[in-house]
Amino acid sequence: MSLVLTVDGPRWREHLRRTAAAHPGLVPVVKGNGYGFGLGRLARRTQWLAEQDLGHDAGAGTCDTLAVGMYDEIGEVAQRFGGSIVVLTPWRPFGTALEATADDALADRLVHTVGRLEDLRDLLERRPRARFVLERMTSMQRHGFSARGLWSVGEVLRAHPGARLEGVAMHFPLAHGSHTSEASRLLTDVVGAELPEGPGARTVWVSHLSDTELAGLAARWPEYRFRSRMGTGLWLGERSALTVTSTVLDVHPLERGDVFGYRGRTAPKSGHLLVVTGGTAHGIGLEAPTGDLGLRGRAATLARGGLDAVGFVRSPFSIDAKQRLFAEPPHMQASMLFLPAGARVPAVGDTVDVRVRYTATTFDRIVVT
Amino acid sequence: MTRSAPRAETSAPIRVREITPAEHLGFLETRESASFLQTPAWGRVKSEWRRESLGFFDGDELVGAALVLYRQLPRLKRYLAYVPEGPVIDWADDDLARWLRPLAAHCRGRGAFGVRMGPPVVTARWSAQQVKDGIADDAVRRLGDLAPLERDHVGARVLSQLASLGWRHQGVEGGFAAGQPQFVFQVPLVDADGAALDEDAVLKAMNQQWRRNIKKAAKAGVEVQSTSGVAEALEALEAFHELYVHTAERDHFTPRPLSYFRTMVEALAGEGEELGQPDRMRLHLARHEGDLVAATIAIRVGTHAWYSYGASSTEKRDVRGSNAAQWAMMRDALAAGAHVYDLRGITDTLDGDDSHVGLIQFKVGTGGQAVELAGEWDLPLNKVLYRAFSLYMARR
Repeated sequence: MSLVLTVDGPRWREHLRRTAAAHPGLVPVVKGNGYGFGLGRLARRTQWLAEQDLGHDAGAGTCDTLAVGMYDEIGEVAQRFGGSIVVLTPWRPFGTALEATADDALADRLVHTVGRLEDLRDLLERRPRARFVLERMTSMQRHGFSARGLWSVGEVLRAHPGARLEGVAMHFPLAHGSHTSEASRLLTDVVGAELPEGPGARTVWVSHLSDTELAGLAARWPEYRFRSRMGTGLWLGERSALTVTSTVLDVHPLERGDVFGYRGRTAPKSGHLLVVTGGTAHGIGLEAPTGDLGLRGRAATLARGGLDAVGFVRSPFSIDAKQRLFAEPPHMQASMLFLPAGARVPAVGDTVDVRVRYTATTFDRIVVT
Repeated sequence: MTRSAPRAETSAPIRVREITPAEHLGFLETRESASFLQTPAWGRVKSEWRRESLGFFDGDELVGAALVLYRQLPRLKRYLAYVPEGPVIDWADDDLARWLRPLAAHCRGRGAFGVRMGPPVVTARWSAQQVKDGIADDAVRRLGDLAPLERDHVGARVLSQLASLGWRHQGVEGGFAAGQPQFVFQVPLVDADGAALDEDAVLKAMNQQWRRNIKKAAKAGVEVQSTSGVAEALEALEAFHELYVHTAERDHFTPRPLSYFRTMVEALAGEGEELGQPDRMRLHLARHEGDLVAATIAIRVGTHAWYSYGASSTEKRDVRGSNAAQWAMMRDALAAGAHVYDLRGITDTLDGDDSHVGLIQFKVGTGGQAVELAGEWDLPLNKVLYRAFSLYMARR
């Protein structure tokens, strides 16, 4: 009686293997809610991928490193995965970052992301042999060094011969169009930085580049090694292997005008009231902005708001491939759906399909077949 | 190139103003070398454009110079200010804005709708062996497909700064293709420590065929006569030009008229004579039993020597007159203490089926390096006119 994610195991694992094999040097991203799977499970899965024979040379280092979003997430993955852990949020001299930096047991496995000169100096003062990547600011303007900032890094690193540079990181926006020219421009800044010779000076960690863009960059910068950080495309790339189901807990016939629910609403027409598992505690009914800025997207958002005002809102639950309306706003662990007269009425105990945003959903149970 | 020393915080902004050709030339003489396209003489060669010698001043001190050619927009009193293979400034400066902003402001004051320049900085180098392997490898189609011997940090900083200062790189493919080449082939005449090489070392770096051809030419009795100064160059010019027109017909390119070369000799060799450098521009005529089999033009400014034009006969190819003339130019450059012998433009194609690959193969035989330069960059000053100009150039 729970919200269940069912994973078609063979299919999912085949997709993971195929993706890893196609991206030498792949760095799986394991962050947030673990893309619905949970951080621990993905950490174990990364370990499994690291142990696979993927058909390319071992030197490629595929899946020898995973990426977490924050220092607070390290605890969830460190015991389940034996390789290196890169933290995507830039290191700052406060909070959990300092605790992690002070941890001697982690020191050799942790790869920090550094985006400011003062942070680099501070980090290297605390840990002269720290491992780190230098983040170069992209057009996203979120974190990272400017071109000039990166040029100064070269000097700092020459003063800290023990420092272990693992590469330069670039986090591109989810823009339409190609990132190749921006990436090339940023790589020119890397050349200008005159980083101390070594594999780190020739490794670039990238996110959100298509395979074509990656191939283009590798051709233009043949002496550089590109490491692709991938979350959604890896874990959720094979949607057909994933199904989310809820269970029908109760069914009640409803006449027009009947009063129901927490808030004593009245039914606008006759039909059935369905009580199903899955509520706000799972993330059901909580909508994150989709980021769709097009006219259609905005109109759809408005329309949904309008529905809310006059009566029922579309729910993510679908019965017989038809999306059904919420009869009232979802509760913590269950939701009430309205089924108009004439539709097939499922029985108590039946399952119902749910469409969710995996990155915003918590499942009660994950079944991998 | 080496990084410039950090400047004092109090350094005055750089100012730009017109200087006399004599001041201009005097400044170039204080530099190790500069492109010959940046000499006042080159402005006289390009007589169809208005020209200006510009000085960059740090306080009262002349610290940089530029030859600016103003190309008029059809039917308008507006110009593209063109600084070929220049300006001659400290490109290793991490603050290029202080040089380039006053340059742009000056050109705008002269009626320019945009500035085009070709920073004389290297961004990457490939060895002859790499280029050779690349041509043989079907998977390699362009020079950029090969990891270079080195990427130049100073060159990279120049590119970064130009992009952030609003300059636009003019692509090699399409667009205004009449500009200076971004890829050139150079034979180093000094070793990694800057010590001069001797003739044997330069010969040793060449491939076997080049060495054999040079030897063959000497054995066959090919003699190379080299001019000195204006008068001798002018005298040799007609013979050169006749062979050059012959070469143009054979190789299907449009030859420049004799008058163009006469102007070039008078300006460039003339400038050399004024400076007491009779070898600034010289012609080399290779003869076999009295027959002219090859003729070339070489230019040298300071430590940089260029192979500029070449012509060869269709008859008597077996006496290897071209190799003899090339070797004469290289020995000449070595004797003059040059650091680099520059065979100028190559295309970046390494595709064995491309018609341009033959030219690279010839140059690669010298054992030098393929060099990528920063290329040509534009700064639009008037967006509307600049766009109109770009369209005009694209349709030409």
